Amino acid sequence: MKARLFGAIGALGLIAIFVLSDLADGDWGRFGGGLENLAVFFTESMWPPDWSVLEARSYPPCEAQLEFTCSVGYVGMLETLKIAFVSTILGFLGAMLLSPLAARNLQTVWISIPVRILLAAVRSLPSLIWAIIFVIVIGFGPLSGVLAMTFYTVGYLGKLQYETFEGMESAPLEAGRAMGLSSTSITTNIVIPENSNHLLSQLIFMFEYNVRHGTVIGIVGAGGIGYHIINYMKFLQYDKVLALLLLIFVVVIIIDLISFFARSFVNDQGDVRRPTWLNLILKKPIESSQAESSD
Amino acid sequence: MKRSSLWTVSERAELTEPLLTLDNLVIGYQEPLTEPISLEVGRGEVIAILGPSGVGKTTLLRTIAGLVMPLGGSSHQRVDKQGGLGYIPQNLGLARHGTVAHNVSLGAGVRMKWSLSMYGRRRQKTMEALANVGMEHKATEPVRRLSGGQKRRVATARTLAHRPQLILADEFLSELDDANATAVMDAVSPLLEEGSSLIMVEHHAEHALKYATRVWKLDDGKFSDLTVQGWISAEGGEGK
Repeated sequence: MKARLFGAIGALGLIAIFVLSDLADGDWGRFGGGLENLAVFFTESMWPPDWSVLEARSYPPCEAQLEFTCSVGYVGMLETLKIAFVSTILGFLGAMLLSPLAARNLQTVWISIPVRILLAAVRSLPSLIWAIIFVIVIGFGPLSGVLAMTFYTVGYLGKLQYETFEGMESAPLEAGRAMGLSSTSITTNIVIPENSNHLLSQLIFMFEYNVRHGTVIGIVGAGGIGYHIINYMKFLQYDKVLALLLLIFVVVIIIDLISFFARSFVNDQGDVRRPTWLNLILKKPIESSQAESSD
Repeated sequence: MKRSSLWTVSERAELTEPLLTLDNLVIGYQEPLTEPISLEVGRGEVIAILGPSGVGKTTLLRTIAGLVMPLGGSSHQRVDKQGGLGYIPQNLGLARHGTVAHNVSLGAGVRMKWSLSMYGRRRQKTMEALANVGMEHKATEPVRRLSGGQKRRVATARTLAHRPQLILADEFLSELDDANATAVMDAVSPLLEEGSSLIMVEHHAEHALKYATRVWKLDDGKFSDLTVQGWISAEGGEGK
């Protein structure tokens, strides 16, 4: 069994290499040259990062007490976080309305299939294309970014959610159905509470995803830190670009840590001692202070 | 159904009608698991479905509950559409992340129409059902922290809270010790006295035969509808 699994993975790897070779027209030397180019580009243009992006801009004049709050990095990141936050929450609510209708174990195929097709259609356009559409429709600015990422979030999160619902244990659903609970009641009282851990995890993942993609949609004028990144790229200021990318990286790590803690409130880890920040950073083992139920 | 000293004609007719009728019911997923089953279940009966593993006991229960389509024949229940049937699966089907009260309130709310007073009534019914099984002190505890016996009692309270006319329970008493089995059956008995019936699948016969009025035996595709005495005689007087 194990040998067959490894054989299948190896075969898939080989196929991928053949396809890659076809895409590169068999010119593997390009990869060597590419790495060299990257090294030159990184050492000469990007490194060291220019942290002046965290200093107050000369225009508009800064009236805040903390000058940092007038910096490109802060203003751009804050706008990206705002766009990501609003679009994640709105997208989550939209997905929560649609995903129970798309789950095969909660609805008949006559309802679930059309809703799945709708979610697939929304998801098939990347957030960048949605951003271009909304920039055309309502103009430049963060509102276009919010709408673009809300639509994408509905499609993406909707799929994650209905797959989670379909994977849940069937016994609670059967007990609810047999006693005559309505479909809405089963969803709100059994399905959502039972999957709260996954839903919360997906919500935070989506927020992190939207923060990262907030940089991309800024490139087409839909607001956020990406707008500043593309400006610096146009003026070949790659050291400033690197500083902003590192800022995004730090924010993503912080969101990941928040996710870790938030999820422990709704899963079985809520019954054991939670790790301290030090535990997390130093990867110390977490001792269980309370045994699980005795069954 | 309301209890009254004088039953009306329609109520009397309803009382004499069987609660469950199986008409040439063939159970199974692709292949039939038993021969066609035809029988009737009256009110106030306690039926134990007994037999070795894998003969179709759970499939029969799930087919009666309407969760599995029969391969042939029909199963007809004369119970209320909402809340008339109580089903307790083998692994209980509790919402693990919910509290004890949340789980029982699901049952308590089944027959209720929405109104402002609903929440108060629902809470009251929930606490009454929990008191019936001696679990009111655990109302705010998450289900995942309970022991197996306590979870079984919560599942029973959830079912009792909507006062079903037909209770279908899988491995209802098998995992319980004598004290817990007695507590669970004591909680169910007032409902049985009012005319509800209980059909329980059991792997071990000891507990079930204490309470059963009738035994359905499944073995190697054969179905037999026996009295408790008939089962004991058939099994060589061991009662197992």
